[in-house]
Amino acid sequence: MNKKVKQILTTNEIIVVYIIIALCILIGIVNPVFLGMSTAITLSRAMLITLIFAICEMVVIISGGIDVSFPAVACIAMYSTIRFVIAFGIESPIFAYGMVALIGLAFGALNAYLIAKIKLPPLIATLGVSSVANGATLAFLGTKEISNIPEKMDALSKVFLISYTNSQGITYQLTALILIPVSMIIVAYYVLKYTMLGRGIYAIGGDKNAARIAGFNVTRIQFIVYMSSGLFAGIGGLTYTILMRQASPQSLMGSEMMVIAAVVVGGTRITGGHGTVIGTILGVLLIAIVQNNLIMLGIPTHFQTFVVGLIIVIGTSITSLRAKKIANSAKV
Amino acid sequence: MEKSKKFFKEADKNTLALFGIALLIFALMGIFAPGSFLGIANLQGMCIQFPEYGILALGMMLAMISGGIDLSLVGIANFSSIIGSIVMIKTGGSGTSILLGIGAALIVGALCGTFNGFLIGYLRIPAMLVTLCGLQLYTGLGLAVTKGPALTGLPESYSLLANGAFFGIPIALLIFIMVFLIVAYILRATVYGQHVLYMGTNDIASKYSGIHNLKITITTYLIGGMLGAVSGILMASHYNSAKADYGSSYTLLTLLIVVLGGTAPEGGKGKVAGVAMAVIVLQLVSSAFNILRVNSFVKTFVWGLLLLAIMIITKVVESKKKE
Repeated sequence: MNKKVKQILTTNEIIVVYIIIALCILIGIVNPVFLGMSTAITLSRAMLITLIFAICEMVVIISGGIDVSFPAVACIAMYSTIRFVIAFGIESPIFAYGMVALIGLAFGALNAYLIAKIKLPPLIATLGVSSVANGATLAFLGTKEISNIPEKMDALSKVFLISYTNSQGITYQLTALILIPVSMIIVAYYVLKYTMLGRGIYAIGGDKNAARIAGFNVTRIQFIVYMSSGLFAGIGGLTYTILMRQASPQSLMGSEMMVIAAVVVGGTRITGGHGTVIGTILGVLLIAIVQNNLIMLGIPTHFQTFVVGLIIVIGTSITSLRAKKIANSAKV
Repeated sequence: MEKSKKFFKEADKNTLALFGIALLIFALMGIFAPGSFLGIANLQGMCIQFPEYGILALGMMLAMISGGIDLSLVGIANFSSIIGSIVMIKTGGSGTSILLGIGAALIVGALCGTFNGFLIGYLRIPAMLVTLCGLQLYTGLGLAVTKGPALTGLPESYSLLANGAFFGIPIALLIFIMVFLIVAYILRATVYGQHVLYMGTNDIASKYSGIHNLKITITTYLIGGMLGAVSGILMASHYNSAKADYGSSYTLLTLLIVVLGGTAPEGGKGKVAGVAMAVIVLQLVSSAFNILRVNSFVKTFVWGLLLLAIMIITKVVESKKKE
């Protein structure tokens, strides 16, 4: 019993929880306003897009790969859809989401083909696809920011689940779009934990050959993983545009680093085979808190990149050290 | 005749193909835009541009040969050039202070590289992750030191390093050739060079054959860091200022160069000559695009396509060979 409690209290997820609590207390002492409803709403809004990408990235990393192309895929899918929708005067958000998902899916399939069929290293394949997608967006679709988004789509950003007004009369609202990552989380949790596909994803991440011998269709699983990653990258891109109420062809570029960091800090091993949905949520939460609240601690903005980098290095070192310790410990 | 046949047989096919492409571009551009492309100004301009990322590519190649990858090179380049510039400005800007600054930059580069190598070799964190974090960390350090804007006020004579010429040959090109020869020597003629190839091929086998993997890893990233610093010194000299986010497109570019140059991403295989050839080809393509006034974003697109195409061709050829 005692051993089990100890085991639970030292899992990766719990360590991240400790760090988050310590950070919250620290920020709360410096700035008591932090501990309130308003922070919860601001944070969930800040986490929304990162969560969509992080869940996909986590699944890809568990399967033993990596995907650095999702920001570029998100941008090209979102930007071409918005331009198409505006050019033809289509108002329906459902059509836009459908189109964005299809474009994302196509790029995901390209990634999957390069990785599963031609057997390129995932990093190089997705880096190449990222460069192609980003270059194509800027060279052929234009570099202009579009702010006249169709009204019906724009209206989506004004649907709120919760509204909260603080004592100074400032209203904080939680957008209904948060339902997208929430439903993704539920599906990912279910698939990873209770389906054969989920087991297969862990299996090919652990050892591809062993998984194949055990009867998993490695190519099929890789196709599913990368295609769903592309699909949700597209959806994430459109959601971001709706939230920001303008489409910019470059807006998401460079976010891959932060997403991978959030996933790894949440205890997913970059070498594959390990990782949980809850850990990823915690990792995203930790990064969001750090990014949004360093100013409250009195750390100037030009230190931010460094501090975030430092937290990621420490976070990944802890997970890797634990993995090393487990690997070195006696096998029963 | 017999001898030249043997030479072609033994020479790397990949390098030869690249050489052919380079000749083709020269010929095409010589026909379409002879005045501007083959002019002295353009040739000199090219020789000033490519050493910056060519040296980074050599660092990336070493990391890849060892079975890892180094995505933090651009971060190291900028951070070390920032520190070097600060030293130069603080010590007055005379000839000695320039040397001091260059020395400081090299030391910083070596330290950053050692830190990478330690995390990769000792803590056994995957190289990709360490250097991805490293990029963030070193760029962040650079930002923290400069507070954002570019550092200016570097001594005038310092800019000669990248922009000056020695008997008509740009000094930057001479530096590139020197670095190229040093790296080639290290890989071909030293014990370390052999060990790093073994380790890249199979790190468990190399460990059991008595090779000190940790030492080799740290040395690899240390050299990489120093090469990053050299490139940073050139960049600072080229723009006559130092900034935390110069050359942010170089990471993808160096990866592309290294893979184009025939280095295997799985490690254990790589040729300095191939990488140098790939650098020249890319610079030619890029210059040709500039002269033909093609939108610069098309370049990103074409580079991505090239990277994928080369990788696919190599893989297909390899699998054919196996059959």
